[in-house]
Order: sequence, then structure tokens, then C-alpha cells
Amino acid sequence: MGNLSKVHILEASVWLTIAIVFFVFSFEFNQGIEIYKFGATGWPRAVLFLLVIVLIGNIFHQRSHGSGAQEGRVGVTDDDLDNVDKSLSSILNITAFILLPILYAWSLKPVGFYAATPVFAALVIVLLGERRIKWIIGISALIYAILIGLFMIALNAPLPQGTVSPFYDFSAFMLRMNTQLQHMF
Amino acid sequence: MIENFLAGTSTLFGDPFTIAIFVFGVLGGMLFGAIPGVSMLTLAAILLPFTAGLDAAQGVMLFAVIYCTGTYGGAITAILFNIPGAPENAPTAFDGYPMTRKGMAGKAVGAAVLCSAIGGTASALVMMAATEPLAQWAIRNIGPPEIFALVFFGLAVASSVGGNTIWKGWLSVLFGLLVATIGQDPVGGINRYNFGLSDLAAGIAFVPAILGFFAVSEIFVQAERRAFGKHTAPKFNVDFPTIAELWRYKIAVLRSVIVGFFCGILPGIGATLAAFMGYGEAVRWSKDKKSFGQGNLEGVISSETANNAATGAAMIPLLALGLPGGALTAMMVAVFQMHDMEPGPLVFYNSPDLIWVVFAAMFYANVSILFIGLIETKTILHLLKIPFHFLAPMILLLASIGSYIGRGLVLDVIVMFSAGIIGFVLRRSGYSIPGIVLGIILGKIGEQNFAQGMQMVHYDLIAYLSRPICFILIAAGAITLGTSVYKALKSNQAVAKS
Repeated sequence: MGNLSKVHILEASVWLTIAIVFFVFSFEFNQGIEIYKFGATGWPRAVLFLLVIVLIGNIFHQRSHGSGAQEGRVGVTDDDLDNVDKSLSSILNITAFILLPILYAWSLKPVGFYAATPVFAALVIVLLGERRIKWIIGISALIYAILIGLFMIALNAPLPQGTVSPFYDFSAFMLRMNTQLQHMF
Repeated sequence: MIENFLAGTSTLFGDPFTIAIFVFGVLGGMLFGAIPGVSMLTLAAILLPFTAGLDAAQGVMLFAVIYCTGTYGGAITAILFNIPGAPENAPTAFDGYPMTRKGMAGKAVGAAVLCSAIGGTASALVMMAATEPLAQWAIRNIGPPEIFALVFFGLAVASSVGGNTIWKGWLSVLFGLLVATIGQDPVGGINRYNFGLSDLAAGIAFVPAILGFFAVSEIFVQAERRAFGKHTAPKFNVDFPTIAELWRYKIAVLRSVIVGFFCGILPGIGATLAAFMGYGEAVRWSKDKKSFGQGNLEGVISSETANNAATGAAMIPLLALGLPGGALTAMMVAVFQMHDMEPGPLVFYNSPDLIWVVFAAMFYANVSILFIGLIETKTILHLLKIPFHFLAPMILLLASIGSYIGRGLVLDVIVMFSAGIIGFVLRRSGYSIPGIVLGIILGKIGEQNFAQGMQMVHYDLIAYLSRPICFILIAAGAITLGTSVYKALKSNQAVAKS
């Protein structure tokens, strides 16, 4: 096993799973193209083949030398968090912070940009450690105002309006206000 | 040429409305380029429908100006926040962000301003003088086999400048290439890897992927550092580099202008590859290779000169051949089409006025980077004073809007945040985010040109390599790759001995 750790094995397993999934799914479009010898699967399978070869090289490297960076590499990740004491609450905090944007993105279709955004901004600020209510509300409102001012009023950019009441009604209200504002000038 | 340039200048500055559009383009490109989370592409996507109400010359000129100033603006966020405004600014972050952490943000940004202006102005001058002969040379000598060879060279360079090891560098690039296979194949139009989602038939859009991998993953990294008590605010500093300091890098600037211009001429390649190759060449020729990635000013200078040098050159295939060199130049094609025009050789004969207004505007836009950029930079550096927990939600929301606006799909916002999570995990494991992004960008171009190239040479490898430019670029790529592998093995042996 050499210097291979559980993390290295997990890492290799993820890459291998990606390669297998993409290879299996490549049979779904395994059709010939009359004018092109290698067909629709030629390029993706060549990439998968190279990926597996490089993965083997990576495993051998990690087996001999662990996770350390090679000498002379440029743009290497500056990671000094390995030896930090990670409490359960900070792990939960960062997990929630990472999952929150996915929840926000998922909510954009039913809830819409106009209703979801101030809540999202406030939650991000809270998860990043701000506990002063006035600041949370004030900064969220400021961010919301800047975004609405720039994208809705100045640039008329089309943003998701939501599909579920009362969020959709709120978006409609915002857009009506914008139209009236535009007419004033 | 001078007469045409003066005529273009007088048309540009002879009409107040055209001046207003020019100023809007200069400021808008700089602003959107320099706001973390959005980019010049966001602004261009929003403005595209409005250009129908402008003259063709005004519309194309607006986009050309945004292209010049936006390419520069993206360097600011790369240097200050490690969030490249566009993929072409990714190599700038390699050294720019370490400089910010060392309290040398002013020097990095100052160098980016000056070198962007120099690269862009030099490129604009060559473009004005030699668009037609260069286009003719490109038509005769550059075809799909050569473009594929350049893509191979570019990917070899990208894999050697990112990631903890050569293996992780290549895994990153190959992952990007794999993501690029999602959507229709470029030869037969067959749907690949859409996993039952009709929206994926058009593939993964560049902008959400770029914003996710660069901006969102950086926010996650910073948030993690904050959660574990390791976050340190970047140091504020407005000391610009002196002329003497910059003069030391004159060779690097000249080399990057040449590299950037050459990459820009080639259709489909654009400024991104120019920046990577400019940076890669700077590392290759430097006597102090180890300092790259640690805050070497030459890294910022090489990358920023090359990507701006590509902006002028990218207009050559666009205007002479009708082939866009990147996302923004592709939007310019749409502006032409809105006005019932097709970019191509006939534009030079049918609409010389338009061409020279655009050329003059690009020249002045690059010059204005120097003057407005220096003033703007002093203001933008104050962004460093905003606490991270107030800046982060703004960046995430701007990135959400930037992703959504391109195609109007919520899926793109989901893709962006997913890319952010993947990027975060991969960064923590020592993979190269710029490598992934370059793989995504060059994947489709590489596959398309590989297929066309193979058809041209009847699948004969000898015939392919007997094309001189192909041979040189493939050999250069192989040498780059071989050198990286050799260094990796040598480094492994040194570690084993110790």
C-alpha cells in the first residue's frame, strides 16, 4: 500500500466511477457518423482512456509519495487547513454554507429571484458568522437594492419570477413598480 | 492606413451619441470585468438585444470596446480575490493573488493596467496595419489540423502550470474535456450524456461553469478558512510599480505580445489560450522558475499582456473570415446578423467605414485602459476593505444572475453552484481549476478540429505531421509534456533519496 491512504483510495474510486459511468452511458449514443470514421463516441472514449491512464499514474505517485506537491509546480493549491482543529460545529457550518446556494438555485424556479434573494443574502451573512441583527438586515437590504437597481431598473434584465403564489405575485408587483418607474423617466 | 484611421476617429468622435456609446462600453467593460461574480459576457448578453436599435457600426464598436476593457477588468478580481473575471485572467491569479496576500496588490494591479494597455494597443496597431495580409496568410496556412495542434499544445501548457502534480494537472484537463463532451457532438449533432435532461442537449454553458469553478469555489474556500479560524483579510496597498521595475520585464512584454497576437489570430482559440501560453512561456524562459506562483510580477505581466494582445488579433478571423475567437466575438457575429450583415472578407469592401470605426474605437479603448484604469484601480482596491461576510453574498448573487442571464435557464444556476462544489473539493485535493476550465473551453474546439483535420488528411498520421505548423506545435506540446513528466520523475527520485 505504500503511502496510499483511505482518502487516496476514495479519490481514485470517484475518478474510476466517473470513467465507468461515462463509458457505460457512451453506448447510448454509439452511432456511426457517415462522414467521420470515429463516430460520436470516439472522442469521449479517447478522453476516458487517457483519464484512466493518468489515474493509474496518479495512484502510483500517491503510493510512493503521498499527497505532497511536486517540486517546481506553478499554481499549486495553498492549503494550510490540514492540521487545523476542526470542531463539529464548524464542519456543520461550512456544510450548510456549501449546500445553501444549491437550495437557493433550486428555489429560483418556484419562488423566483425577487423573493428568494433577500432571504438567501441574509442566511449567507448569518452562516459567515454575523450575529448583529441590524447589520444582517441592513446589508441584505443594501445588496438587494444594488441588484434590483442595476439589473431590474437600469438594465431591464429578465430574472426568474417564480411559479408559486404568493411569490409570483410579489415578482409581478416588483415588475409593475419597475414599469411605472421607467414611465416616470 | 493613417487616413482610414483618422476617418474612423472622426466618425467615432464626431457624433455625441457614438461617443456616449464608446464611453459606456469602456466604463461598462471595466466595471463588469472588475466586479467579482459577473464578467464582460454578462454585460454583453444583457446588451445584445438593445444593439438592434443602434447602427451596425455602433453595435459592433460597443462590443469590441467591451471586449478590450472587460479583458483588462477581469484581471482586477483575479488579483484581488483570486476570482478571474474571465478564463483569460486565470493565469493572472497564479501570481497576482499571492502578491495581494503579501500586501503588493497595488503593484500587481498597476502592472496589469499598464501591460493590458500595452498589449492591447500593440495588438490594435498590428490589426490596423495587417488585418488583410494576416487574414490571407491564416486562410492559406491555418486549417483544422493546425488548430487542433495548437489546442494540444495549449492543453499541455495548462496541465504543466496547475495542480500539485503533473498527474493532477492532466486529470484536471481531462475532466474539463469530459465535461465538454456533454451536449451534441460537433460532427454529427448526436446528443451525448444529456442524462434525460433536454436542457443539457445544448451542453454545459461556459459562463456558469467558469463562474462556478472560479468564483463560487473561491467563496467556499474562503468560507471554510473563516469557519476554521484561518481567514486573513488581504492587505490593502496602492503602491504602483515604478517604471524602472516594469522596464525589467520588457522582454516578457514583447514575448507575450507576440504569443498573444498569434493565438488571437487563430479562429476559436481566443485570449484564454494566449494568457496560458504567455504565462507558460514566461515560466519556461525565466531563470527563477520557482518564484512563479508565489507572487512573481512577471507572471502577472506575461498573462495580462498576452490576453489583451489577443483582443485585437481576435478581430482578424472575425472580420476577415467570419469566425469568432471566443464567446464575446461570437456575440459580435450576432450583432452583424441583426443588421443583415455577415462578417467576412466582403465587409472590408462593403463597409470600410464600419471596420475603421471599430479599429479606431479599439485603439482608443486600449489607450483609455491606461488612464481610466489607473484612476479606477485606486478606487477598486478599496474593495479589499469590505469584510468578507458582506462581500460573499454579493458575489454569489452576482454570479447567479450572470449564469442565468445567458440562456434564461435556472439549470445554469444549478450547474454553476454544482461546479462550485466540485471545484471546492478538487481545489482542496490539489487539482487545477484553470486546467478544468481550459479543458471545457477547448474540448469542443479540439474535437471539432480533430475530426475535420483527420478527414482532411484521410486519417493518415504521417500526412498530418508533415504539415509544418502541425509538426512544430505537436512537437512543442510533446516537449512540454515530456519536460513536465521528466521533472516529476526527477522530483520523485529526489524525495525518495531524502
